[in-house]
Amino acid sequence: MANKLGFYFNATACTGCKACQVACKDKSDLPVGVNWRRVAEYTGGEWVTNPDGTVEQNVFAYYTSIACNHCTNPICVEVCPTQAMHQREDGIVMVDESICIGCRYCEWACPYGAPQFNEEVGVMTKCNFCYDYLDEGQSPACVAACPSRALFFGDIDELRAEHGELAEIAPLPPADITEPNLVIEPHHNAKPIGSPSGKLINPEEV
Amino acid sequence: MVAKEFLNDVITSTIMTRRSFVKWSAIFGGGAVVASNLAELPGQQGIGSVLAQEDESVVWSSCVVNCGSRCPLRLHVKDGVVVRVETDNLGDDEFGNHQIRACVRGRSVRQRMYNPDRLKYPMKRVGPRGSGEFEQITWEEAFDLIADKLKELIDTYGNESIYLNYGTGTLGAVVAKSWPPSATPIARLMNCYGGYLNHYGDYSAAQIESGLPYTFGNTWADTWVSNNSIEDIVNSKLMVYFGNNPGETRMSGGGMIYSLQHYKKISGAKMIVIDPRYTDTAVTAADEWVPIRPGTDAALINALAYVMITEDLHDKDFLDNYCVGFDKAHMPEGYEDEDSYSDYILGTGADGTAKTPEWASTITGIPAPKIVQLAREIALTKPCFITQGWGPQRQANGEQTSRAIPMLSILTGNIGIHGGGTGARESTFSISMVGFPTLSNPVSTSISVFNWPDAIDHGPEMTALKDGVIGKDKLDVPIKFIWNYAGNALINQHADVNYTREILGDESKCEMIVSVEVHMTPSAKWSDILLPDTMNFEKMDIAVNGDASNMGYHIFCEPAAEPMFETMHVYDMCAELAKRLDVEDEFTEGRTVEDWLRYCIDETRKSNPDWPDFESFREMGIYKVTNPGDPYVAYKGFREDPEANPLLTPSGKLEIFSSRLHEIGQTWELEEGDVITGLPIYAETWEGVSDPLRETYPLQMISAHYKQRTHSTYGNVPWMKEVAPQEVWINPIDAEARGIENGDRVYVYNGRGRTHVPARVTPRIIPGVIHLSEGAWYEPDEDGVDQAGCANVLTRYRPSPLAKGDPMHTILVEVEKA
Amino acid sequence: MQANEWSLIIFTTVMQMAVGSFVILGGVHFFATRRYDAQAADTLSDRALLAIGPIVILAMLVTFLHLGNPLNAPRAISNLGSSWLSREVTLAAIFTIGGAVFAFMQWRKISTATIRNTIGLVVAAIGLLLVWSMAQVYLLPTVPAWNSPATVVTFFITTLLLGSLAVGSAFVLTYQYLRGRNNLPSSDTQFDILSTTLRWIVLISLVLLGVQFVVIPLYLANLAEQGSEAAMASISLILDQGGALFALRLILLFVGAGIFSIFMYRSLSSESRTRMTGYLAYSAFAFVLISEILGRFLFYESMIRIGM
Ligand SMILES: Nc1nc2c(c(=O)[nH]1)N[C@H]1C(S)=C(S)[C@@H](COP(=O)(O)OP(=O)(O)OC[C@H]3O[C@@H](n4cnc5c(=O)[nH]c(N)nc54)[C@H](O)[C@@H]3O)O[C@H]1N2
Ligand SMILES: Nc1nc2c(c(=O)[nH]1)N[C@H]1C(S)=C(S)[C@@H](COP(=O)(O)OP(=O)(O)OC[C@H]3O[C@@H](n4cnc5c(=O)[nH]c(N)nc54)[C@H](O)[C@@H]3O)O[C@H]1N2
Ligand code: SF4
Ligand code: SF4
Ligand code: SF4
Ligand code: SF4
Ligand code: SF4
Ligand SMILES: [Mo]
Repeated sequence: MANKLGFYFNATACTGCKACQVACKDKSDLPVGVNWRRVAEYTGGEWVTNPDGTVEQNVFAYYTSIACNHCTNPICVEVCPTQAMHQREDGIVMVDESICIGCRYCEWACPYGAPQFNEEVGVMTKCNFCYDYLDEGQSPACVAACPSRALFFGDIDELRAEHGELAEIAPLPPADITEPNLVIEPHHNAKPIGSPSGKLINPEEV
Repeated sequence: MVAKEFLNDVITSTIMTRRSFVKWSAIFGGGAVVASNLAELPGQQGIGSVLAQEDESVVWSSCVVNCGSRCPLRLHVKDGVVVRVETDNLGDDEFGNHQIRACVRGRSVRQRMYNPDRLKYPMKRVGPRGSGEFEQITWEEAFDLIADKLKELIDTYGNESIYLNYGTGTLGAVVAKSWPPSATPIARLMNCYGGYLNHYGDYSAAQIESGLPYTFGNTWADTWVSNNSIEDIVNSKLMVYFGNNPGETRMSGGGMIYSLQHYKKISGAKMIVIDPRYTDTAVTAADEWVPIRPGTDAALINALAYVMITEDLHDKDFLDNYCVGFDKAHMPEGYEDEDSYSDYILGTGADGTAKTPEWASTITGIPAPKIVQLAREIALTKPCFITQGWGPQRQANGEQTSRAIPMLSILTGNIGIHGGGTGARESTFSISMVGFPTLSNPVSTSISVFNWPDAIDHGPEMTALKDGVIGKDKLDVPIKFIWNYAGNALINQHADVNYTREILGDESKCEMIVSVEVHMTPSAKWSDILLPDTMNFEKMDIAVNGDASNMGYHIFCEPAAEPMFETMHVYDMCAELAKRLDVEDEFTEGRTVEDWLRYCIDETRKSNPDWPDFESFREMGIYKVTNPGDPYVAYKGFREDPEANPLLTPSGKLEIFSSRLHEIGQTWELEEGDVITGLPIYAETWEGVSDPLRETYPLQMISAHYKQRTHSTYGNVPWMKEVAPQEVWINPIDAEARGIENGDRVYVYNGRGRTHVPARVTPRIIPGVIHLSEGAWYEPDEDGVDQAGCANVLTRYRPSPLAKGDPMHTILVEVEKA
Repeated sequence: MQANEWSLIIFTTVMQMAVGSFVILGGVHFFATRRYDAQAADTLSDRALLAIGPIVILAMLVTFLHLGNPLNAPRAISNLGSSWLSREVTLAAIFTIGGAVFAFMQWRKISTATIRNTIGLVVAAIGLLLVWSMAQVYLLPTVPAWNSPATVVTFFITTLLLGSLAVGSAFVLTYQYLRGRNNLPSSDTQFDILSTTLRWIVLISLVLLGVQFVVIPLYLANLAEQGSEAAMASISLILDQGGALFALRLILLFVGAGIFSIFMYRSLSSESRTRMTGYLAYSAFAFVLISEILGRFLFYESMIRIGM
């Protein structure tokens, strides 16, 4: 049996530059509005103005780059009425665009926003882990693109052994819903999921 | 879909060449195949997940825009069309010989190549200037029009009336190089025909380039004050970044941000970022962010110095032995009566004000206790690397600020040692090759990069003492002809668009504007003749002087595709003009572009035999050289032996008090409110933090550089607009006071202009300050209100005192909900 | 709000109304047959039954609008193993076909009444299962605003309330039509059937109204208690941005299912007032229908998923 693949995201290195996102778009010719990889900015903190006009703050921010996590328990696959959304032996979750009906139910269900509806062709699309590159022995486009080396991929067990098990920080959902094959090195600013101290400040971009 | 629009364009254009038709149908056909194949795709195929095909070739090219990085792009080409973009993928990516990974913009380059704005054929203006109404002409007509006008104007006004405007759209190449203007094929052409009016400085760093050498002793010829190499922060304990944001301004994997991350991890040094914004650099690397009001760094430095001096934390040995001007005992000869630095700081000098933390706190917005703490930390944590970007100096008091920040390095004796630095911008290791020879300019007169509109409007009134004219006491003739090669500074990147429009709109002043461009930019619309250039992926060149901290590299760029439409290489344009100006032989010396590239490589190999020859280089694609020695330490020789290695200052030492600047301050004719002083002081300025105009326009505005674009380049790329939309950053406190919510459209305005843009309400900016990134494409509606968020409809055209440079980050505005 | 959600609003509301009508009609028919005879029972209900058909077809067609790629629609029944959406689609198809078969047999009086009734019973049961599966579709762990027992209860309230009021309106309409054309076989019996039916419908409406008014605050309170960003955003979408619509929905529901029903009940005291009964029945139906559509609009509008 093939080993399950996963992503390792090092939030301490991520500058939020989105080279990963655009490399992915370029590879698969994705139109504006369809982003198989998305970069969330989580920002918070307060400002206080002192009587002398000076200011103080506890502002923080960090970025999280997320594609599909090719989850162990993929809710997208579970809910898809057509089985267009399916999981391969090696764990890669893909849409068979030829049988998808474009009902967008997987999009409602996936808490990572991974399924991305392509209006131009009327079907759901999503990250396919660059399986074609993998077959050729190449890294996925997003991983190979990251200028700050914040993004890696590999056998999920190995990634976990090396980098730990963490797969949930704000603004991600609890990991127990879908059991994502994702390992995160948290940023020093990272907040736990559900924290009220910050918010996803670029919702229109993810 | 972009390709579709463009295709329509192509079909309706009457002079469509067959070649371009085939090309474009291939592009559109490619898209159509993807769409129609969908239904038939066998199970597992994703959209566009088609593998690199047998018939696909991969060529090395590069992104040569002006972002400070230089990235390899590996273009996948199919049927003459670039279908996919990759970047450096060589080697095992071990740091030091790592992959130079392109930034987000480079990855979107296909949308810049195949963009509906692409200029297709020569055009001449038919409506009034700026109307954007053009008519297609032949290359013959275009060359004749230009050659005739050049002859006529040079006959009447002389060569000083011909100006090469600033343009950095393709600066990272050898032949198709647009900056500095003196290194361009156009300069070579003009030099063959009597020369042209020079300019000095640049929009990037004019103030620091002109100011800081007075402290460190460089000359006009070499204005660059360096800092330790970024590599050297492995030796640092503390890093202090003033308005330096490599996370956005050096974004690539060969760029400064990756190096910073890498070396910081090794040294574990603490990093403090002092910036009005919580930048991406701060997000990624900073341990502490100290928000500061724009234009007030010098006030902060003063107070830090106050604490250091009063708490006796400064390096007295260093100040006594390596510097002049710190105290009365060490003033330069003949200036003993002037204030010393400690007089100025402690309040024992002419202004009688002690520069206490309390004094600085109300100016900078930083609480006094924080200032005290910062001073102690910086003075006591050694070695400390201090650096400034160019945000602090691109201001009305930028020369002062640029000299003030290095005072921290001087006061703490961090100069010339490992892990320390000068307080200027970081250095990197690089290798360089011989450039395209452009001959020398018979005209030596030079104006500042920024004040060309004055030279158009009233050139002969501009003098050396008032306007910084160099090489002559005054200009004799106004600018009559502008070459605008790969520049958008004509209307978009220069200050006060509405004023520039007025000057350019008078067609009797500047009589001809020729733009060599690739896209229909705002500046192109203000031209008289448009010459469509080939883009770098359509031509052979060498991307030069790439530097990745401890590695220098050059990229051999192969043409990936045939030139589209009627586009032409800028060198060939110049050669055609040279023919008409009877200087063809001098211009070409019988060489083609490829011949010149061979020539430059051969010349390089004469002094550097390691350099690969043309064929091998071509084979390699990218040529990388890793620093064989220690990390570079700026002014190391001087530190080790100041007698043997004196600085090029009058005293041979670091001049905290510069007698030369003091003299300039006494002799130049400065505008009311402008000062040039021997000491690096905090100077209040027009539209600064304490200008009474704040009653009308209460917010300070900066227009920093943004990840969506390299200036205006990439500004028309849909993927990039999606990645990083143009927005004005505003603090929640200021937003709330104006009833503005995140995403609301707002007007930003002042007495000069008005722009309409969505608001990003974010705590990542200090209250009282807004940020509207520079470079968005100016897009006026019928009432002249910009609809695109172009910062320069708001900025002020008032040259800085010494450099006569652009003060883009100094302005006041108001924001209201639209 | 995305345009394709309109098709979902219409599909779910109308389909539920159809199921409700079918069930209520079945009930009426059952009791009427027991009290009178099959023929008397058929007079009003057969015609009402035939009205359901087109409504269902319409609902089914509308769902296609929601699909990005309708050509593949038949595939939607291929994941019964885990997808509630697949189950919903399948049940909707069976209900539609079963209902059509039943209606045709009933109309042409094919086979015996017992067999027909058995088929009717099965179709009604499938309809109720359909409503159940419709609700399950929305019980996504990733959407707090939907993932609530209130979704199930509300879907059934919609089913029965709209079903009852639709049947009520259809009965008055048929009754008046037949009487107007002097086509009523035994007017007394028919009026008896009509008034008894409507009385029951009024009672059902009042009970469902009561339940709905208990469920809504419980639902909101429960959502607020979860406190997640998504839950709070959903509440704000319902109560702030959608506040006016939400209030309108409640008022329409109260007036339609409550006030109009009560007046309707009182108008049933004499046959001479059937015109008034008609107006009240139609208004009650219209008010509740609009209210339900608004409610469903807000339901979709309040969709905020957790995560990113
Ligand atoms: N408000 C504000 N304004 C600023 C600044 C700021 O901080 N704030 N910064 C300033 C600074 S530092 C700079 S350097 C300037 C930069 O200003 P510019 O040098 O004008 O830079 P760009 O806007 O990138 O314009 C480059 C032009 O070259 C064109 N181009 C690109 N590739 C090619 C090519 O291959 N051939 C040809 N012929 N043309 C090509 C592009 O289409 C574009 O029009 O802006 C300055 N303006
Ligand atoms: N993505 C991208 N990269 C670029 C460019 C681009 O357009 N886009 N342009 C390139 C070019 S030509 C240049 S010249 C460089 C420009 O490089 P810089 O001049 O260093 O860049 P800026 O963004 O203008 O300013 C840097 C930082 O200074 C801050 N700042 C502004 N005013 C002040 C101040 O008064 N005090 C302090 N402490 N900080 C201040 C800004 O918030 C900003 O974060 O970038 C290069 N890199
Ligand atoms: S490319 Fe790397 S650094 Fe940039 S956003 Fe993606 S993960 Fe972050
Ligand atoms: S991330 Fe979402 S789309 Fe990807 S497998 Fe998990 S649930 Fe499915
Ligand atoms: S949109 Fe396509 S992949 Fe997603 S649930 Fe519907 S049929 Fe399945
Ligand atoms: S693995 Fe491939 S498909 Fe998935 S996000 Fe990365 S580049 Fe896109
Ligand atoms: S814009 Fe600059 S950093 Fe980005 S790819 Fe081009 S050269 Fe590299
Ligand atoms: Mo610049």
